[in-house]
Amino acid sequence: MITVGMDLGTQRVQVVVLKDGKIVGRALAMSGFDPTKAAEQAVNEALEQANLKLSNVNHFAATGSALDMAPYANSKVSMMGADAKAAVFLVPKARTIIDVGAEEARAVKCDEKGVMVDFVLNERCAAGAGAFIEAMARALEVKMEDMGPLALKAERASPINASCVIFGESDVVSLIHRQESKPEIARAVYDAMADRVSAMVHRLGINPEVVLVGGVAKDPGFVVSLNRKLGINVVIPEDPEYVGALGAALIAATRVKEDPK
Amino acid sequence: MKNETVERKYLPEMPRKEMDELRNTVKTASQKIIADNIEHMKKADPHRPEAMKYFDEMADLFGKRQKEIAAEKEKGKKVIGYLCLFAPTELIMAADAIPVRVNSGWYDTSKLGDRVVPVEVCPVIRSTIGAKMIELSPFLEQSDALISVLTCDGMTKLGEILGDTKIVWGMNIPRIKDSTQSLRFWNDEIKHMKTQIETFTGNKITRKNLKEAIETSHRATKAFRRLQELRKGNPVIMGRDAMLVNQAYTWDDKKRWTEKTEVLCDELEKRAQRKDWVCSPDTPRVMVTGTPMFWPDNWKLPTLVEEGNPQGIIVADEQCSGERILNDPIGVDEWSMDDMLNAMSERYLMASTCPCFTSKDGNEDRINWLLNKVKEWKIQGVIYYVVRGCMLYAMEYTRVKKALDKINVPVYYLDTEYTREDVGQMKTRVEAFLEMLNARIDI
Repeated sequence: MITVGMDLGTQRVQVVVLKDGKIVGRALAMSGFDPTKAAEQAVNEALEQANLKLSNVNHFAATGSALDMAPYANSKVSMMGADAKAAVFLVPKARTIIDVGAEEARAVKCDEKGVMVDFVLNERCAAGAGAFIEAMARALEVKMEDMGPLALKAERASPINASCVIFGESDVVSLIHRQESKPEIARAVYDAMADRVSAMVHRLGINPEVVLVGGVAKDPGFVVSLNRKLGINVVIPEDPEYVGALGAALIAATRVKEDPK
Repeated sequence: MKNETVERKYLPEMPRKEMDELRNTVKTASQKIIADNIEHMKKADPHRPEAMKYFDEMADLFGKRQKEIAAEKEKGKKVIGYLCLFAPTELIMAADAIPVRVNSGWYDTSKLGDRVVPVEVCPVIRSTIGAKMIELSPFLEQSDALISVLTCDGMTKLGEILGDTKIVWGMNIPRIKDSTQSLRFWNDEIKHMKTQIETFTGNKITRKNLKEAIETSHRATKAFRRLQELRKGNPVIMGRDAMLVNQAYTWDDKKRWTEKTEVLCDELEKRAQRKDWVCSPDTPRVMVTGTPMFWPDNWKLPTLVEEGNPQGIIVADEQCSGERILNDPIGVDEWSMDDMLNAMSERYLMASTCPCFTSKDGNEDRINWLLNKVKEWKIQGVIYYVVRGCMLYAMEYTRVKKALDKINVPVYYLDTEYTREDVGQMKTRVEAFLEMLNARIDI
């Protein structure tokens, strides 16, 4: 059985091809102005990797904030449902999943089968999400991928209050004016983000294992700050940015079983 | 009547031309929204009850009911508007005046309200101020006086702001419910309101006409409760239809509303016998609690739930725009004036589950309402609906969540604004919640 999961996010599209429970192909594309086209490209690339054709696929499932624009979709899966399913597939003991993407952070509680039982999202604010790092990197005139390593060099914390990206930026500017060093400011950015994300997770309740997924899970600056705030070490699966697409592909497989054509 | 010589404390003077233009734009948009909402509700249920036709007509805030009230006013009747359910409507009816609720559900006017109060203020308040600024709301404009009850911070100042152009009577509701001095105080407020209404209307509230008014309320409560009872079983009415019926009570003629609701219930009973459900009986059963949702614009949440993929059905609510309106009858023992006024005081104070209250055990009455609904109406998930700036509901969420966690009923906190722009985001959230409910049902 072949299923394809497509995660149409605000910045990137990820695709995972699953064959009998094994990942056989995956691809990534920038969403850009035409997420549908980006997803088509990513699907074709991932299928090519697996030596498969569109017609071999039993079921396509779409997830992500732009899921209504997904091509080929037979069904859709919520982002939280996909996160839970994939996290438990990758880390069987996972019960709390934190997903930090470009524009949104969310946390999901699930049972041992990877069925979500509760979830919470950062409500309409990007201060707890990847876009915040990007904006702050711009203010510090460093590359986004350098922000994390920079923050790890900080010797102390200088708190900022990130109630939103705009206010956060003006806070960072005042740190610059106080001539704080770049590593300290970078750490302040991650601490502020981790504050918001951990407050959100605390509202949901923390059940171990806690798994961190989404693009921002690859940023060491954020991971260190989050671990410090939560007082635990979160588990990060390999290639955390593909978790949404994997979850959709896994759920697609259960849907084929329920409704074999 | 507006007294032009009185200096306005809050509301800006707006040129008549600008006011008229704005009102016409918002009114035209609103009429379209009313028609769209009704169209959606019709489509949602292919066998929609015949009796809903009447309520569809009542739903037009610029239509039949406005004209009826205007005709009554011509004959000399007074209209007394109110902003909270604590206003003792039986006193208004007993004095042969027309009670009508005037909170605004218009999204567009909340932006106008921003000219008077900051955006952090709850949009129900901002929108009502905006509606007043452009004289949009037929019922608010027709009101000869307003009863403003000091429940939350927003309501407290709203009365003051509307006082720029209207006669406003404040009622001071005690915040601690379970004390004898509170009840005594509130009883005095009710008695004072009686005198005020009598003086204003020139009609004496007698034992006889107050008894009649309370009996009218009793009959309405009976019909109201009958409708909610019918929502306990497999779904025979869409949540939105029931919510519209419930809310229409606040502006409709009370006796006619009662008749029409009984007719609707007859029809629904037959429907239940035919096993003609509005949606599959395994559709997740949802309850909404939190900030009131006023017709016509603020209909986005129920629409998203009932037209979602997967679909949900709203079978109950705990809102002052919904089931709280008529849930509790006034318990009169002896029909003396004193006893009737005491019974009214108790009903308006003790039966309310508004989060403005606290008591020894906090707002335990609200928790009990929710738990009872979950059990009796077989609720599978609760949406806790809060608009930005609605502090009391936002703060009570933690307690409600704990209580629902204990009985393993999922609850989702959904915060929004008086805007159409966030419908996409809300859809993602609501559908994820419904997907989760379905997954739980399957297990």
